Amino acid sequence: MSDISYLKRLFRTYYKEKRSEIPTVSSFGHREFGYIPWDKKIIMKRHMSFKSQDSITKHLGNEGPRHVYSSGALYTQPEIPDMDGKGYQGCDFIVDIDVDHFYTPCKEDHDFWYCKECGKSGLGMVHKCPKCGKSKIKTSAWICEKCLDTAKREIIKLIYDFLVPDFGISISQMRIAFSGHRGYHLKIENDQIRNLPSNERREIADYISGENISLEILGLQEKSGTIYSFSGDTYGWAKKIIRKTYEILKKPNSEIQELLSEKEKFNFNKNYIKSFLNSKQDFIDKIDNNKYFILPSIEGFGMTNWRKFFTGIVHEVGVEIDTPVTIDIHRLIRYPGSLHGKTGFKVQEIFPDELDDFNPLDEVNEKLDPIVFESKVQTTQKLEVLDAQVPATKIKGKTYGPYTKGEIIEVPHHIAIFLLCKEVVKTI
Amino acid sequence: MSIPTELINRYPWLPSLKKHYFEMASRSPSIFISEVFSKDFGSDLKERLLDLFEAAFDNLEEISDYKSDKLNVYVYLLLNIFLYALDNQLITNRLANLYSKITYNELTKENNDANLYNICQDLGLKIRYYEPPINYGVNIVKDHHQKLETNFTIHFIDYLRLASNLRDEYRKLVHNSLLEGYVFIQNKRLIRLIQEYVRNRLLIKETEDKASLKAFLSDVSEIKDFKEIIDKILNAWTERKEEFEYTFKIDFESKEELLTLYPPCVKEILKKTQEGQNLIHNERLFIVWFLLALEYPVEKVVDLFSTMPDFDREKTTYQVNFAKKKKYIPYKCLTLKSLNLCFAANYKDKLCLEGYGSVEPSERKKLAHPLSYTRIKQYRASKEEYYKNKEVDEVNE
Repeated sequence: MSDISYLKRLFRTYYKEKRSEIPTVSSFGHREFGYIPWDKKIIMKRHMSFKSQDSITKHLGNEGPRHVYSSGALYTQPEIPDMDGKGYQGCDFIVDIDVDHFYTPCKEDHDFWYCKECGKSGLGMVHKCPKCGKSKIKTSAWICEKCLDTAKREIIKLIYDFLVPDFGISISQMRIAFSGHRGYHLKIENDQIRNLPSNERREIADYISGENISLEILGLQEKSGTIYSFSGDTYGWAKKIIRKTYEILKKPNSEIQELLSEKEKFNFNKNYIKSFLNSKQDFIDKIDNNKYFILPSIEGFGMTNWRKFFTGIVHEVGVEIDTPVTIDIHRLIRYPGSLHGKTGFKVQEIFPDELDDFNPLDEVNEKLDPIVFESKVQTTQKLEVLDAQVPATKIKGKTYGPYTKGEIIEVPHHIAIFLLCKEVVKTI
Repeated sequence: MSIPTELINRYPWLPSLKKHYFEMASRSPSIFISEVFSKDFGSDLKERLLDLFEAAFDNLEEISDYKSDKLNVYVYLLLNIFLYALDNQLITNRLANLYSKITYNELTKENNDANLYNICQDLGLKIRYYEPPINYGVNIVKDHHQKLETNFTIHFIDYLRLASNLRDEYRKLVHNSLLEGYVFIQNKRLIRLIQEYVRNRLLIKETEDKASLKAFLSDVSEIKDFKEIIDKILNAWTERKEEFEYTFKIDFESKEELLTLYPPCVKEILKKTQEGQNLIHNERLFIVWFLLALEYPVEKVVDLFSTMPDFDREKTTYQVNFAKKKKYIPYKCLTLKSLNLCFAANYKDKLCLEGYGSVEPSERKKLAHPLSYTRIKQYRASKEEYYKNKEVDEVNE
């Protein structure tokens, strides 16, 4: 049996056995469904509708697809292939937080990239090849506790720094799920928000992420040689920026130094960081005494550097969301309780108050555990490593790997499924 | 909540009009027209209606002797009927702009929070009123601090619904103060949102049901007063028509194929100008910079704005010349998206949505600039032309 057939059979068994445990989605009959089968060529089958939760789980039990999705949108006739003919009735507000789309320092340890143009390869996250400058980059993304924790912190920030205090959205209207791979989805089910068109969703996405913010409109300006800042008393982004600035200033110098030198956010050189730290106390005093309007004079800090500094702060405050998902009203998102074909992990729904303790790679609460193929009897499988380098992965408290091409390994069942789904090994 | 009739008289576009003037609203248009003009205020009504059209054709932003009495209700209803009868997008836009600006001026002059609150309630807006005003921050004006205070907050969904088409940077949600779902909004800005509501309410599209329109016209043209007014409006319009339609005859109708080379963001702005819709500042800058980048002659770029409600040829020529001298580069796709000026999805444009450079979707490059769109389209068109000619040559051989 080929590895693909093996995985397909496992997925089918999961859907058959866990049929009653797979949660449903609201307005079920008005959702469009789609799935990606285990074929070599990845083509999504969409424009499907099901009458009941029972009929979809039965279907999944027969097909055992690689990925399963349902629409954020509601339609009168979700099965019609022509999008204009579906009878669009509105769409849930969806936020996707996926570490694929933003930088985390641990990517330097486990994400590989390869330039299809010049053949250069390396670790980390690049958008363009550092050698030839072309953007034909193939990436091989991995997961680790650190990046999943970053994603979790982003979703917590989204809920408690933006959706609840600023937008007044009630927790009961939110549905959150671990995606089964590198992130989280949040769906807001609210009739008023469902009616928002794409451009108005972008406005909310910009507010949450800080994208397209104008520091000048918020108050950063230079007048007769004096640089003025934002008001820490003004609700909205101005207050958030000053609050975050203060929080950073209160950190030990070593941490500030590390943060300000981060390439993806602040990218200041040593000299600027040194002069910034020299004026740190002055800056703290100004904020303490509500005199932050006039920024402290720091050697080398003109409008350009202040803009750079506050742009970095905006990055710190904003949530790393995948904006195209939020503004796309016809997007399909992973179905709760389904399996992610790149890991074999379950798309796990979580309540906001469960987020803090949730650890997808080592979850103690069985009901929330996305790793569904861990067998109670310790069974192992022999595999041959296909990829040049397979990074180490810590799952269920144990580290597996790193592995190199040609290596024969023996790992527990759930790790074998994870590596097979990742297509970096084959069974022997 | 019941809104005072006096407020409906002053602002007849309020949804409660139907409740207060149920009898009037339920009458057929032809009966309504016959009746109102036969009353003793009939000639006053005619005069007011024609004044509105004249002012709109003259690009005025207000009417000096505008009265907001009970007759105002008749004027508003008749205005809607006449706009339907005229079935002309350019005229409708002119009137919608003028009428909404009059509303803005009236509401500003009135400066009455209670009325403003009642109006918002009647429009179904989720609004909160604070007395004394609520403080939501501090602003710096010329080196001194100014407390930010307001009586009103508006729910963010209503705010977005009314403000997102205005597209000014400062109106973006991210630049506003938001707390527990409500945006703090100054009275003037709230009035500006109401102005936009009024403009949109009058902006009826040219009807697709031409048969019904024809039947309606044959019905009402029997009414002497109606015929007299519509003839006067049409005469005034014919005199000015060329001034408004000038651009498109010269520029675009003769070069229709050029439109296929333009990205959706440009097509949308051109469509707006064609319909005489007002363009916001960023739209004006973008279209000027875009056309100048394609080496369009200055006078033709100026002509494009001749349908604008606030068109001033001299000023526009100066500004376009200035832009040409400065060689500004048109906004890139990312900026257009952030300004809500990207229309790729609305136009379902393949090049914008799917990219270019390869048949394989994963290999395709994303379009980053609207000028690249035109260049790629031009390249594709020239390639097609080449192969067409080649085929013809081969057949001839």
